[in-house]
This record gives sequence, C-alpha cells and structure tokens, in this order.
Amino acid sequence: MELILDRVSHSYGNVEVLNDISLSVGSGEIVCIVGPSGCGKSTLLRILGGLEKPDSGAALIAGDPPADSLNPLTYVFQDFALLPWRTVEGNVSLVLEDHAIPKDRARAIIADVLARTKLSEFAGAWPRQLSGGMKQRVAIARALSVNPAVMLMDEPLSALDSQTRDLLMDDLVDLWGQVGFSACYITHNLAEAVRLGHRIVMLSRRPGRIREIVDIDIPLNERINHPAETTAIQRRLWEAMRDEARAADRELSDVA
Amino acid sequence: MITTTRRTALSMFAATALGLVAGAALTPAAQAADAIKIGILSLTSHSPSIIAEGKGYFDEQDLDVEFVSFQAAQPMAVAIASGDIDFGMTAISGGLISLAEKGAVRIIGGALQETPEIEGQKILVSKAAHDAGVTSPDKLAGRSFGVTTQGSSFHYMAHKIADKAGFDRSELKITPMQKVPAVIAALKSGQIDAWSIVPNIAGALTKGPEVVEIGKISDYIDNYQVTTVFTSTRNVTDNRELVTRFLAGLSKGIDDYNAAFVDKTMGADDVAAITGMVHQYVYADQPIDKAGPRIAAGAMRINSGARLNVASVEDQLKWFQSEKLAPEGVTMEDLVDTSFVEAY
Amino acid sequence: MSLDAADLEQPRRATADLQQNRHVAAVKPVPFRGGGFVHTRHRFVALFLFVVLVILWEIGSQTGFISNIALPAPSEAAGAMADLFETGMIWKHLSASLYRLVIGWSVGSLIGVTVGLAVALFSIVRAGVSPFVSALFPIPKIALLPLFIIWFGIGEGSKVATILFGVFFPTVIATYGGVDNVDRNLIRMGQSFGLSWLSIVRKIIIPGALPAILSGFRISASIAIILLVAAEMIGAEFGIGAYILMAGALFATDQLIAGVAMLSVLGLTVGWLISRAERWLLRWRA
Ligand SMILES: Nc1ncnc2c1ncn2[C@@H]1O[C@H](COP(=O)(O)OP(=O)(O)OP(=O)(O)O)[C@@H](O)[C@H]1O
Ligand SMILES: [Mg+2]
Repeated sequence: MELILDRVSHSYGNVEVLNDISLSVGSGEIVCIVGPSGCGKSTLLRILGGLEKPDSGAALIAGDPPADSLNPLTYVFQDFALLPWRTVEGNVSLVLEDHAIPKDRARAIIADVLARTKLSEFAGAWPRQLSGGMKQRVAIARALSVNPAVMLMDEPLSALDSQTRDLLMDDLVDLWGQVGFSACYITHNLAEAVRLGHRIVMLSRRPGRIREIVDIDIPLNERINHPAETTAIQRRLWEAMRDEARAADRELSDVA
Repeated sequence: MITTTRRTALSMFAATALGLVAGAALTPAAQAADAIKIGILSLTSHSPSIIAEGKGYFDEQDLDVEFVSFQAAQPMAVAIASGDIDFGMTAISGGLISLAEKGAVRIIGGALQETPEIEGQKILVSKAAHDAGVTSPDKLAGRSFGVTTQGSSFHYMAHKIADKAGFDRSELKITPMQKVPAVIAALKSGQIDAWSIVPNIAGALTKGPEVVEIGKISDYIDNYQVTTVFTSTRNVTDNRELVTRFLAGLSKGIDDYNAAFVDKTMGADDVAAITGMVHQYVYADQPIDKAGPRIAAGAMRINSGARLNVASVEDQLKWFQSEKLAPEGVTMEDLVDTSFVEAY
Repeated sequence: MSLDAADLEQPRRATADLQQNRHVAAVKPVPFRGGGFVHTRHRFVALFLFVVLVILWEIGSQTGFISNIALPAPSEAAGAMADLFETGMIWKHLSASLYRLVIGWSVGSLIGVTVGLAVALFSIVRAGVSPFVSALFPIPKIALLPLFIIWFGIGEGSKVATILFGVFFPTVIATYGGVDNVDRNLIRMGQSFGLSWLSIVRKIIIPGALPAILSGFRISASIAIILLVAAEMIGAEFGIGAYILMAGALFATDQLIAGVAMLSVLGLTVGWLISRAERWLLRWRA
C-alpha cells in the first residue's frame, strides 16, 4: 500500500500553510519531513491521516492495506498521548478493544508488541512511573499493535533528552529491521532524519513548499558505520535549511 | 425588624463571651425618666403596651419606652435574656422555660386568657380531612397536626386535645412548619390535617372553602393562660420597682384594650383613637379602614392587672417536662415570680 | 583508574589550599535559605488542638467565664448526645437524615453528571442548558422551599428535592468543567485509532473528567449536609436537621451543640469516604 499526497494546499483563514505539496510514502519506507518551525509539517501529517481536510488536492491511498491491519494510518504523537489512568498494557489494549478481537488473541498481540519495544516487564506500570523514553515506546507499541500500514509520527522524539533519543532511534532501527513498517516521520532534527529516513523531504518556510528531496541509499542498520556520508548529507541539508529557518524565525517574531 | 434580631444575636454573643451579661447597666438615673425597651409582635394581642404608650400611661410612671419589633416569639425571649430588651409578652414555649432554667428570664404576669364568655382559639381541619370524616376533635387520632416548632403552644394544644379526647398523644402526627404562614399554606392545601389558632386568624381561614372549624380549645384546656408577660431575672431581682411601674402602666393599657375590643364598652371615638395607635404596629401595611376591623376582630381577653393563672402555667410546665421539651429540674419558682401581680 | 584518582585529587587539593589560607578570609558555610513553605504532615495537631479547645471551653463554662446562655459546657452537650444514644433516638434521627441525604445526593449527582456530560458533549445542549444552569445555580434552594412543598408535598418529597436540587447544579458545572479540561490530544489520539464515539466518551472523556467530578462530589456532599437543616424545616418529625431546629426552638443549647456535632461528624465521614473513593478511583495519579 502506498500513501500519496496529491498537490495539497491548505490555509488557516488567510494564513497559507501548505502550497502544492505532492509526495508519497511507499510500503516499508520511512519518509522524513523536515522544515523550519511553523511551516506546516503537523498540518501535513493531519491531512495525511485524515484528521483534517485540505483546501485543495487530496490524500490518497494506492492499493489495499494488509488484511490484518486494524488501523492502516496510525499516529505516534510528540506528547505520547497515553491515558494516565490505564497501565502500559491497558493503553495498548485500548486500541484493540473496539475491534472485537478474541481475548487471548488480544493478549498475545499485546505481549508481542510489548516484547518488541522491550516493555514486557512494565506491562502493569502506570504511565506516571515511566520515563519519557519509555512512554514513547509504549506509544510505539500501541501503534504497532494495530498493525498499521503507515505510521504517522509527529516529532516522536523531540520531547526526549538527547541520550534517550539516540537509544530510541536505535530501537526504531531494530524494529524496522524486524517489522519493516512504513512511516511518515516528521522532525526538525536533521540528525534524526538522516539516521531514520529512506527519503528526506525538506519543506520551505511558511507557506510550506517542497524545497528539496534527498534519497539515502545506505541501509538503516548500516548508517552508523558511515559517519562521513551521513554527516555530509546532514550538512548539505542544514545549508539549505539555514536561511529558511532564519527567515522563519524572523517572520515569527514579526508576527508576534 | 430583622436587623434588630440579628443585632440581638450578635450582641448576645459578644456580651456573654466577655462574661458581661450580668454587668450591663439599667440603673435608674436620678432625674431623667427610665428608658425601657419592650419587644412586640405585630399582633393585636400586643396592643396593651402600644395603647399604654400612646395614652401616656408609661409617661405617668416616668418610663421612656422604645418598642422593638420581632418576627417570632423565640428571638424575643432570647433578646430579653441577652439584655437587649426589657419586657416581652408571648406564649409559654420550651425556649422560654429553658431560658428561665438558665436564670435569664421570669414570667411576671399573665396576658391573653381563654375565658368561657369570649370567643377563644379554634380547632381547624382541612377540607379534605373534614370530608374524610374528621368532624370533631376526638376524631383527630391518626391525623397530622400543624405546629410552628416542637415545644410551641400549638404542640401543647394538640396534646391537650388528645388527652381530653382520650387517644394517645403519639396518635397525632405533630408536623413542624416553622412559621405561621407555612402552617396556613399547608392546611389550606390539605398537606396537614389540623391546626389550632386564635379566633381572628381562624375566622379569616374558615371564610374560605378550604378550612373547616371543628371545635374550640376552651373545651379541651381549662382556663388556658395563652400568653404571659415576662422580663429578665435581673430586672426581677435588682429592679423590682421598675417592673412594678411597667406593670402599672401596662395594666391601664390592658383595661383600655379590653374595653375597646373585648367588652366593647368604650365610645366609638375612643375606640377609633386606640385603633389608630395600634395600627402603627399591627397591620401597618394596610390602610386604616381595612386594618381597623381586622384589629378588632376576634380579640381575646387579656387579664386585667396582668393577673396570672398559675394553675394553667403549671399545667403547661408539666406538659413540657412530660414531653422532655423542657429540662426536668425547672420548678415553678424558676419560671414564675408571682409577687408582682395577683395570681390565681 | 589512575585518571579517576587524579580527578579526585584536584578538589581535595583545592580544599586544603583553602584551609591553609584561612587566616586570609574565614571559611564559613553558605547560609541555608531554602527552608519553609513546605507542607510536612503533622498527624495529631488538629486532634490536639481540638482537645485543648474543648478543655478550655469546659473550664470557661465551669468557672462561669462563658455564660451558659452563650454556650453550653461541652460536658452538657456530651450529656445531650448520651441521651440520644440512651433513648435510641439517635438512630431514628440519623436514619431519617441519611435516607434523605443518600437519595437526594445520589439521584442529584446521577442526573447532574448525566446533564453535565450532555452539556459538555453536545453543543446544542450546551447552548440551551448552560444559561439555565448559570441562572439557577445561585438561587438559594431554601428560597424555593415553599414551591417544593406545593410540588412535592411536605413528606419526604420536598426534603429529598431540596437536597437533590442543591446537589444537581454544582455537579453539572463540575462535570462539564471537567470534560472541557480533558486533554484534547487524548481525544484526538482516540479518534486517530478509529475508536467509536462511545468508546472515546467512556474510556477517555469520563475518566479524564473524573478528578473534577470527584472534587465536585466533595462540594456537593457538603452542600447536601448544609441543606439538610433547611430540608428538615418543614414537616420533619425526625432527622438531625429537625433535631437541631427543635433544640433551637426550645433554646436547648446543649442539644443544639450535640446536633451540630452530629452534622460535623457526618461531614467528616462523608469527606473521608470521598477521599477513599478518590484514592481508589484516581490511583493512577501520584
Ligand atoms: N487549527 C489551526 N487553526 C489556525 N491556524 C493553525 C492551526 N493549526 C496550525 N495553524 C497555523 O498553521 C501554521 C503551521 O502549523 P503547523 O503546526 O502545521 O506547523 P509545524 O511545521 O508543525 O510547526 P512546528 O515545527 O512548530 O511543529 C502555524 O503558523 C500555525 O500557527
Ligand atoms: Mg508541529
């Protein structure tokens, strides 16, 4: 299954946020979207997942999602969005409960995703007891449990400190190695994009247009062994982005 | 009126908290008239003081009178206990006895009195109860009887009816409604079955179709001393001469009241003058031509010379004690000082 | 290892230097300024204070410093309380009042939570109902008592209704306030996983609003107890409120204090029960 954005434009009132954006997320592919603050990345992701209707253009699905996918387009949020009144297990089971899955099958799914995200021993813990990194792993486990065709991740690691972020990036790479999920991954951290993205789409400042698309051929699990190449790509992206970011920053302060 | 009672409560607390209750001054000044405060309710039965003031009977006694209006009898008794007012006139209630037990107030005379020759308090039932067969007081067993509060004179009357009619007191369902207007509303709408009340209110009620008279209180209570005159124990012990002067003035007011409204032996002009005085405090919200007849209607006798029916008071005290509505230890001596007026 | 040792030596030497140089400038600890403004638990202070106050009060009464018209001695109030137990009247009063409180409060809360949810979830209901709630909430229910008597009679109806109405409005307000404060991101998360409307309400909105609803319960339970006296003004033979009113009418201040103490105990008990409920229902919180 492929998720496609076809010439999408969108405005809030008279603020134009997205301008003529087309892109696609193929099966098993991680597409990273980077861009300066306020350029419409989150808006783009909401349109992709059907939480928002674009003014023009459309979000399209090509092909059928896998038959066992309970929620083909599944979000992972920056703030984790865990229910504080449910345990780790309960938070995962929340998204299965509406699907009339037999109890033991649901239990098996939960055990499986918790194992994949290294959370098995914390199944009964409350979210308040978890560190930020663990919370995001729960959110990822929850997303995996519905077997998504595409994961829509909005800065999933930006609320975490840099060590935790590095660890979780490794985990995501491992996970991709096992599951091969596809994702649209938003970040404004270029190191993250370079580490996780098969393709990196850079947006301009608001109104967001596609400024550059970079494909990285190095397999995800080998990138750590190619520091020179990845650093070069990261630097090139930064060169391109710096002016946009500076302009966006000034623009925001003008608005304020 | 409301501010008076609230102030009363406040000052009572302040005064007593400082332990000063016994210290407040009412020492007679050398030349100036003695200032006294009299608590009244807006009822015709409180006219004697008003008449005495209007006709100058209190001036004759060298008393400078200020009237303080109350909404109910209970706060008046408390205000006397706290020293905010000096004299009052109400039915004997559990509250009054309790304050007497605490050494705060004393009954010094009698006022409203049931007498055979004058129309007295009536026993009323709702139309619904009447239709259901409650046509005389001895059929009240198992019925609800409205009272303002437990331990009020209404409660006493209800139980005396039961005693005389020969059924158990507990067979009357005593229903507290806090205020007279609430009892009236409940009786009219048939929410309670029965009530007893002074003739002028009873007369107004039985004019309508909702309420029926089924008997007289005088058939159930002998020589009922309905209300009494009372003052603070301090006045009784330290200011006997002041009390005597007050009662002398009051007695002349009582005589005029009886002559004008009860015996109707007074000339029309004098009656009109007296009605005018009373109207300043009673039915004051109505024009005089409307209020006049209502003031005169169903006036009950007030004992001349504020004579006190001690037997009736004793019967009432016994009833309160038997119902545990008054402390057991209270004696007639705690409650009554019979040395000021003729007692019988 | 050697590196660690070298690292450790550095500060030690620095301290030694300082101590050698003491004669130049005296070394003293940085003054501590972080104390206070922290709640530490003192379990028995309230109990101790209460006992001391009662003892002082008793002494004041015994010596006549506090007039027995102003306040009965605590021992007299205790005597009145003992009478209640001895005659068994306490159970009559308590059961009559508890019946009114329990029915009035639970029905009022149930309807209140339901209406509160409807107001919060359906904008048409909010537009229609919330002005009424704002308009009716501040009306003292005692003022409506005469109407309640006409509508519900002087029996249990008007008493339960007084409490019910008193409980209803704050519950509605607490409930929809609670729902309004539920993290929107959680609701969006539910939607993004394709949860049904009912699931979102049941599993996200109601638990999210629960802390606010429970603190609303705390307030509404106090209101119910406050209204008990008003509710029992009319036609009540038994009940703590009726007992207090009777004590007031009889100027039996010992019984009055005993009755008020019963209300306090009732309030404390209800508060404790709600705390227990909170601790269990909100055990996911710290
Ligand atoms: N619901 C909305 N209504 C009005 N304006 C909105 C709304 N959502 C976003 N915007 C505006 O649209 C612009 C793009 O917002 P968006 O959140 O998509 O940017 P972003 O690239 O995700 O920013 P960031 O990097 O800060 O997350 C911003 O200027 C924002 O203020
Ligand atoms: Mg964003």
